[in-house]
Amino acid sequence: MIRKKILLLGDFSVGKTSLIRRYVDNSFDDSYLTTIGVKISQKRLELEGISCELLIWDIEGATPTRSIPHSYFKGASGAIFVCDVNRSETIESLNEHINTFLMLNHEAKHVIAYNKADLLSTPQKEELFLPANAFLTSAKLDSNVERLFTTLAKEVLL
Amino acid sequence: MRTLQVILNTILSKNIFEYLLVDRALRVTSASYGIEKYLGSMPQEGDDVLDYLPELVGSEEEVKTIFLKKFCLYSLESVYKNDYYVNITVEYCDENTAIILLHNITANTLSKQKVLQYSNESTLLYSTLQKVVDNQNALLFVTNSEKIEFANKKFMHYFGAETIEQVRKKELNLYQNLDKKLKNYDELFELTNDKEEHIRIGSDTFIVQATLIESIYKLFTLTKVTTLSNEAMRDSLTGAYRKSYFNSKFEMMVAESTMCVLVVMDLDDFKQVNDHYGHQVGDRVLQEFARLIEKNIRKGDMFVRWGGEEFLLVLQHTSLADAKVKVERIRQKIASYVFPEVGHLTASFGMVALQDEEDADSIFFRADKALYQAKATGKNCIVVKED
Ligand SMILES: Nc1nc2c(ncn2[C@@H]2O[C@H](COP(=O)(O)OP(=O)(O)OP(=O)(O)O)[C@@H](O)[C@H]2O)c(=O)[nH]1
Ligand SMILES: [Mg+2]
Repeated sequence: MIRKKILLLGDFSVGKTSLIRRYVDNSFDDSYLTTIGVKISQKRLELEGISCELLIWDIEGATPTRSIPHSYFKGASGAIFVCDVNRSETIESLNEHINTFLMLNHEAKHVIAYNKADLLSTPQKEELFLPANAFLTSAKLDSNVERLFTTLAKEVLL
Repeated sequence: MRTLQVILNTILSKNIFEYLLVDRALRVTSASYGIEKYLGSMPQEGDDVLDYLPELVGSEEEVKTIFLKKFCLYSLESVYKNDYYVNITVEYCDENTAIILLHNITANTLSKQKVLQYSNESTLLYSTLQKVVDNQNALLFVTNSEKIEFANKKFMHYFGAETIEQVRKKELNLYQNLDKKLKNYDELFELTNDKEEHIRIGSDTFIVQATLIESIYKLFTLTKVTTLSNEAMRDSLTGAYRKSYFNSKFEMMVAESTMCVLVVMDLDDFKQVNDHYGHQVGDRVLQEFARLIEKNIRKGDMFVRWGGEEFLLVLQHTSLADAKVKVERIRQKIASYVFPEVGHLTASFGMVALQDEEDADSIFFRADKALYQAKATGKNCIVVKED
């Protein structure tokens, strides 16, 4: 079976763990328990007749004083960059995360999750400008989470 | 070889390291018993190691280089496995075997996690508070030793600074912008503690208020007033201008030597009204008194509540003689008016004209002297000071 390593990267508390929990276990928790180090979750899926397994790396978020260890980046086929739509600083740091990752993984694919969309009002959502490979997601309300992962999976596999 | 086995067994019994032996195809050849707690089940000979350590997916080739180079830089830190945290490293054993070591770092990682949790939560709280603070009015924190400790975004924006260092460098000493001459923030604090004072900086007017925070910080709040709200300008009881508003206006008039007459007036024996009829009646008398005066002055004249039963009147662009005629009319109106519940009351007046080059302190001093004289010479009269 084909196995692919994909990462979730971004600032702390943007919802990386929650997106994975929603995608893999279809659950959500309102409380915040920060991730330290890394935890791998496995998810099998069938894409256009190909069965494969995603190894989803939930990596600790970057904080003002701790950056993400680069040793986690090796061998990744793709990454989901996550920001919190309500914290502009997490949107601003996306580019830095993307550039560092792509520098170490030239071939890798990526998508972006603008998470916690449930906290935005409709006019706020309309005002938001999203890049082409970005999704407005909510781990809480389960919106766009499946699409986020399968879009990346397709890019990585097909 | 036997001693090596003893050493290895000792290390393994300490519950710190567990291992898996793999062949060149990364198939399991052997494993320590304790490894089951990390992997969830016991790997069997011939199993694919990736089924137990999916962490290695993507790094297979790198791990395999160990059979060529006899060493490998592969290492992965703080991996969560089945309620434990481990570091994973790969070592060379022989040309057909590599050893994958799992180093238990759970206790250490959990305490680090606690610190990280605390720090992340504080950062979130701090950044939320920062946003709240930046959206307030302009704020300035000054320490007891007169050091500017903090200014929020709005404050910096008003005064064209980007960083707190720039605020400090600019020597933007708020206290120098008041009409009263103040020497430091301590004095500004005394003046504005739980009170409002108007302050002019450039062409802008601000209301300044001070609060003491934890007895070491003085917090100054500046509210920009482009067009003053009625509330900010007017005394709530009488509707006359507030002292703080008057101060900033009068300072301007003095600076520009505007031709004007200052009248200081005081209701005679008002204390007895309060004592005899109570404060509620006293308040109504003040309202009536203010209404009488407002009815008898021009729009451009400024009527101010100075404190208690003391009021000011500034009559612009008028001579002292003309002003006196007008004030005399007001005096008579008051003396003949029947105040509800209280009956007849009188008022005393001191008046002076602003002289060339005269400052605010001086004109107030002269006006006060005139009022004092009016009170001393039997009340219900006007005293005009020519010099
Ligand atoms: N309203 C809302 N809250 C969310 C959403 N996703 C996550 N959260 C909450 O945000 C907080 C942080 O979520 P996590 O998933 O732990 O964030 P993280 O990016 O894994 O954080 P670190 O591991 O510290 O980097 C938690 O309290 C979640 O419940 C969402 O879509 N909507
Ligand atoms: Mg997390």
